[in-house]
Amino acid sequence: MFDRDDDIVERVVRQLRQPVSIDPALDARVMAEIASDAAPLATPRPRFQLRRWPWLAAAAALGAVLIAKPWSGGSDGAANAFQFVLVAPQAASVSLVGDFNDWDPARSPMQTAQGVWATTVPLPPGRYRYAFLVNGVEWRADPGAPRARDDEFGTPSSVITVGGTGS
Amino acid sequence: MMLAALLLVVQVGVAAQDPRLERLDPETRSVVVWVVDSARAVGLPSEPLIQRALEGATKGAAGPRIAAAVRRLATDLGTARTALSQRTSAPELEAGVAALRAGASPEVLTRLRDARRPPLTMALAVLADLVASGVPADSASAVVLAMAPTARDADLVEFRKAVERDISLGAPPGASAAVRAANTGIRFGTSDAAQNPSQPPRPPSRP
Repeated sequence: MFDRDDDIVERVVRQLRQPVSIDPALDARVMAEIASDAAPLATPRPRFQLRRWPWLAAAAALGAVLIAKPWSGGSDGAANAFQFVLVAPQAASVSLVGDFNDWDPARSPMQTAQGVWATTVPLPPGRYRYAFLVNGVEWRADPGAPRARDDEFGTPSSVITVGGTGS
Repeated sequence: MMLAALLLVVQVGVAAQDPRLERLDPETRSVVVWVVDSARAVGLPSEPLIQRALEGATKGAAGPRIAAAVRRLATDLGTARTALSQRTSAPELEAGVAALRAGASPEVLTRLRDARRPPLTMALAVLADLVASGVPADSASAVVLAMAPTARDADLVEFRKAVERDISLGAPPGASAAVRAANTGIRFGTSDAAQNPSQPPRPPSRP
């Protein structure tokens, strides 16, 4: 049973947990657009450089839209971006550590907005163990993900499975 | 013999140069490097073993505990590969290990391999996660095997989420899996709902 504030937080967390993925072809498309309008380095063309800005702005806007939009597709082997969220209003710092960042707390520090900590990590297909490190000392499993059964090191971990092109 | 020894030295050198393992104390590192190289020599993936060692190091586990965890994982990766196939990918092997540790038998893994086109990663992971949620291993195995031939990865994930949702609302894990399976037309177990798939499932109530 949740009161209204808890319900709002839960809804926000649910929204933030939606997987976000970036079209693997985005880089190629953006670079192709830029290359198609690029002047040779030795002959600067100020007039065309001015015209390049709308393309770059459009590419940036497209990138922002793709990053913000949950994307359900993804080819086998390509990395999809996943957002990890932990509600910890009292925490001073939270890091995401797992098989995807060599269990290095410095690699994926999480950002907070009013106690909701979040970070996004690209993950290729696979099964990954991970945990949250709160204040540099306290290990927490992800309450919104399956728990790893084999906590051989005495602290909780969670698992996330990223599928490929399953039938 | 000379060639094998040379290969071993080269392989040990490769693993020893992995700077990530420098986070381990020298004694533990030497054991982990040996296990990693042994696994690599028989074609098993080394990255899961390295990650398990790094997990232990970051969590401050004692060296012998880290070494034991890495050794155990190498053994289980071998068991999973025997049950699946020599061509199984690293993610599938890792998911297979999770399923084995959840209580699925190697025979279940083999049957799953025969029933479903690869990749099997998600099917194996859902099996492991269902058991982790409290669904009895036999029931979880039965339902995943029944869904395997036709269900998409997304269907399996949705099934797992539905069961977890039911459990969070107070439903017994086994009963939830049975009802949800029956709702998808799968017959298994002995519950009334499972025997009567046409009967709409009763949503679990809050405790």
